[in-house]
Amino acid sequence: MKTRFARKDEIERKWYVVDASDLVLGRLATKIATYLRGKHKAIFTPNVDTGDFIVVINAEKVRLTGKKIDQKVYYRHSNYPGGLKEETARRLLERKPERVMESAVWGMLPKNRLGRQMIKKLKVYSGPEHPHMAQQPETLSIQ
Amino acid sequence: MPRAKGGFKTRRRRKKVLEMAKGFYSGRSRLFRIATEAVDTAMGHSYKHRKEKKREFRALWIVRINAAAREKGITYSQLMSGLKKSDIGLNRKVLADMAANDPQTFGQLVDSVKQKLAS
Repeated sequence: MKTRFARKDEIERKWYVVDASDLVLGRLATKIATYLRGKHKAIFTPNVDTGDFIVVINAEKVRLTGKKIDQKVYYRHSNYPGGLKEETARRLLERKPERVMESAVWGMLPKNRLGRQMIKKLKVYSGPEHPHMAQQPETLSIQ
Repeated sequence: MPRAKGGFKTRRRRKKVLEMAKGFYSGRSRLFRIATEAVDTAMGHSYKHRKEKKREFRALWIVRINAAAREKGITYSQLMSGLKKSDIGLNRKVLADMAANDPQTFGQLVDSVKQKLAS
């Protein structure tokens, strides 16, 4: 008997939708990362993207524990000299709420070509609306 | 008197190394001395990787079994402990295959383990 590997054309991908309101950011992100990678499936294969699609709604209502809302700082660099920008979680949640969730999940995915492909299956929206009704996403329950 | 440098044995020995170095980059597949080094290194790696292959597969089976078990509401470690208690000697390779290709039997197995753990 040989261990079978998933082939690209036989992977079934589902769509899930998660309501992020009042969920803790990191705890939700681990769950999302597991689903994007496909580690919840018995056919998981390390060199193939076996994951599902995840739609996150109400991304601006996500919860940060402790004082992280003011103390957690997001850094980015414009590649010009002196171009380091910093921004607290509170400001970023006001300005680009989707980015908080995206960056949390990205931190938990592998940093390679496959990981960059996986993050594309994550769709984050602030507010309760999303344009993926055609895919008939199931609700993902978070314990 | 000139020395014989391309005798039968010498040619055979060098050819053997160069055959094994086929497909290597540039001089590593053409020049005998450099190819010798490259082949030695490659052999060392393949020895090491033959050992590692066994660990990597075991790790993959564990990930797969865990995925299937959690879907049935039990964690990997609970499942393994239950299997041991019920004296079921299936190895991880078989369990992983069952989880992917025969989820029904796997489900029955998980149920019996759950009963065992509850008692």
